[in-house]
Amino acid sequence: MSQQMRLFLAEAMRSLTANLSTTAAATIAVLIGMFVFGLFLAVGSYVNSWRENLENQVVVKVFFSQDATPAEIEAVRTQTLQFPQTKSMTFVSKEDALREMREKHPELTRGLASNPLPPSYTIKPKKAEQVREIAGRLDPPPPGVDTVTYKEKTTEKVLLFADVVKWGSLVGSLVLLAASTILIANTIRLSIFSRRREIEVMKLVGATNWFVRGPFMLEGLICGLIGSIIAIVLLVVGKEFALPALPFLERAGSEAEAWSFSLIALLVVGVSLLVGAMGSAITLRRFLKI
Amino acid sequence: MTDTSVETPATTAPAAIEADAAERAGGAPMIVFEEVTKIYEPNIVALRDVALVIEKGEFVFLVGPSGSGKSTMIRLLLKELEPTKGRIIVGGRELARLRRSKVPMLRRNLGCVFQDFKLLPNRTAFENVAYALKVQGESSKGIRAKVPEVLGLVGLASKMSHYPDELSGGEQQRVSIARAFVNHPPLLICDEPTGNLDPDTSVGIMQLLYRINRTGTTVVMATHDREMVDKMRRRVIALDDGAVIRDERRGGYG
Repeated sequence: MSQQMRLFLAEAMRSLTANLSTTAAATIAVLIGMFVFGLFLAVGSYVNSWRENLENQVVVKVFFSQDATPAEIEAVRTQTLQFPQTKSMTFVSKEDALREMREKHPELTRGLASNPLPPSYTIKPKKAEQVREIAGRLDPPPPGVDTVTYKEKTTEKVLLFADVVKWGSLVGSLVLLAASTILIANTIRLSIFSRRREIEVMKLVGATNWFVRGPFMLEGLICGLIGSIIAIVLLVVGKEFALPALPFLERAGSEAEAWSFSLIALLVVGVSLLVGAMGSAITLRRFLKI
Repeated sequence: MTDTSVETPATTAPAAIEADAAERAGGAPMIVFEEVTKIYEPNIVALRDVALVIEKGEFVFLVGPSGSGKSTMIRLLLKELEPTKGRIIVGGRELARLRRSKVPMLRRNLGCVFQDFKLLPNRTAFENVAYALKVQGESSKGIRAKVPEVLGLVGLASKMSHYPDELSGGEQQRVSIARAFVNHPPLLICDEPTGNLDPDTSVGIMQLLYRINRTGTTVVMATHDREMVDKMRRRVIALDDGAVIRDERRGGYG
């Protein structure tokens, strides 16, 4: 560590301990802001993955008639693959369909003499709302096709719900992020404002801007670090104790997943260090013009 | 001027002062104002066409009523402000051509003493003086050597670990003078250093500034203290409404 850095650190520690209430205020501001930020990263990424999951379940099903020939089935495959809206399609043979039915509803399949289920294609669209267009292109049904369905009612509801969730979480996180940014910015401004005379004196005895800025930025870094570590501890507590207490998440769970906790923790620490140091430096600008 | 004491300042002849000052100067003056005008936007004229030369080693009083431009002159010298018109040269350097990044260097060569002391409240007398050395990268060894020396010079050897609020006004001003002088700057600028002090304390501060002046440091002091100026019989530059109305070698307050 260079002599300059040691001096900055000593100056930063001196004023952190000399202005304990300001230090506490800044740390708590970072703590609140970063807790909210971390919470929204977790909840937002979870909700988003849940939404994607929902949208993935929106598919078009093409059911063939019992006597459809392999050539007819192949023709439908080639035709559908050429639609620009088609992402992928999977073939469900008669046997596959029966196996699936046995698993889901064993009581219905008990005692069946023959397999009554038709072969089908499950077509995934590139975007969920494109199921309508795909179904439209397969109307009238090509030869060998019995019915084309995309569960109109369910699909519409799912899509609407997904939209509400997407925009709701986006607006919510923007508002909360803005609120915590303003909270942190104001705390930094107040703490620097209360020391503007000190800064003036420093400048008048010949301190360079960097000499004044260095300790302030280090203070911001230290407050940011402490605040974000406490925020992460609170997030861990929330994850381990509060989440399991919420029963509906169990059901909604399925395959939805939030970003990994370590990624969120890393982002929280990074953002708060950035906010602490840059916030101090930017706020100082006005007071350094002496 | 070396034989001049506070008690008998009038014993030195004006001619001797001039010769002495010029000799120390080695030719170049300490401060030159060339037709300096400062207008605070939109239309407040703080200084109008001020022209003056202060030689090295001089002791100069800047007098005049409030709002006459004394503080503006001092802030121009510190490059806190830029003149609207004219040139200011300090120690041979033209301030307008000094880059912003070099301003800290300028200030390390100027000691500054203010009416309100401008001490850092959460630092002891020692630390306040040490700060002026720290900003220019002085080693802690150098700090430990120089700070007690200069605090001893101002008579505060026994109060180095006191905080400003534990010191009297006069003592605080001594700390601020020690801070201004610790670098042994060629120029000491004082903005009403006795403005907040009672007359007895003021005399002590003046004696201190005098001793500093005798080491060869140029002292420029803005003041309202009529009695002090009359007693000292030093060069007096009187300002009124932003203009120099009087510049006397051995003047009184007027």
